[in-house]
Amino acid sequence: MSEPALDRSVIDVLRQLTPPGEPDVLVEILTLFLQDVPTRIAALQNAVGSGDADGVHRAAHSLKGSAGNVGAKGLQEACRVVEEMGRTKNLDGASDGVAHIVREFQRAAADAETYLPKTS
Amino acid sequence: MAPLHVLVADDDSVSRIVVAAILKKAGYAVVMAKDGHEAWAHLSGDTPPAIAVLDWMMPGLDGPEILTRLRQTGTSTPVYVILVTSRDSSDDIVTGLKAGANDYVTKPANPDELVARVNVGARVVDLQRALADRVRSLEEALSNVKTLQGLLPMCSYCKAIRDDRNYWQRVETYLHDHSGVQFSHSYCPTCYERYVRPELEAAEQVIEGTRRQTGR
Repeated sequence: MSEPALDRSVIDVLRQLTPPGEPDVLVEILTLFLQDVPTRIAALQNAVGSGDADGVHRAAHSLKGSAGNVGAKGLQEACRVVEEMGRTKNLDGASDGVAHIVREFQRAAADAETYLPKTS
Repeated sequence: MAPLHVLVADDDSVSRIVVAAILKKAGYAVVMAKDGHEAWAHLSGDTPPAIAVLDWMMPGLDGPEILTRLRQTGTSTPVYVILVTSRDSSDDIVTGLKAGANDYVTKPANPDELVARVNVGARVVDLQRALADRVRSLEEALSNVKTLQGLLPMCSYCKAIRDDRNYWQRVETYLHDHSGVQFSHSYCPTCYERYVRPELEAAEQVIEGTRRQTGR
């Protein structure tokens, strides 16, 4: 069994942020993560497709921020690699980098689902 | 005391919500902005936040641009700005601090560290406000103090002083009106010899003469 995609210590910190009597902050943040990240991965793919190095830099940077905040270490690292490609304006291998980001997001998303209330 | 207002500006919604939740839990009133323009709208509004936690990279206006604008508008209680930057960009940190940031935190923010740094900002803001209040009350006091300066026209003989409305006043009256000083009257040794002693002696002679006439 590999280590979980989302760092348990980060999840524990987020869980404790809920003020008494208010909606669960952890659920709110993970729900947002699941909704928000796919559209931003799509934007990153577009930037890679059109050879927009600045766009790649910005999109990967902001994704890295999201990943870090939920403790998705693998996704964070995958974003850092692509962000660096954008920053140095060398997009060779950026498509592979984005594919890696997609795989890491799927792993993180599967782990995030386990913290959300079952909707069935 | 009402909680301090903190602006959290980040285009990454997950980061924004996490930082906002951390600061809310620490007792701050949080307003959020999802890009640089929204952040600037809050900061340049009528009731700007006391502290701003600004992401370095934002669409619209980025952190340094906002800082430059903020520092151009002088105020006695400037916003305390904490920049949020990536762990791997020490160049950003130097540039940000030079542009006028008060502090920085690296992303993703460690909650304890973030709160500790915002608390430092709150202390600075409190001090600045207290100082600004003090300066204001001193300025008020100063404008109420009557001034005494410049060239005073004085009569060479009776020592009366001509005031700015062209009236001649006794020196005591003039000084009292312009400085609040009060006088107690007495005499110096020279004037005692010149005026007081002769008067006393004259009075004694009068008394002596009266005694002789009445034969007592």
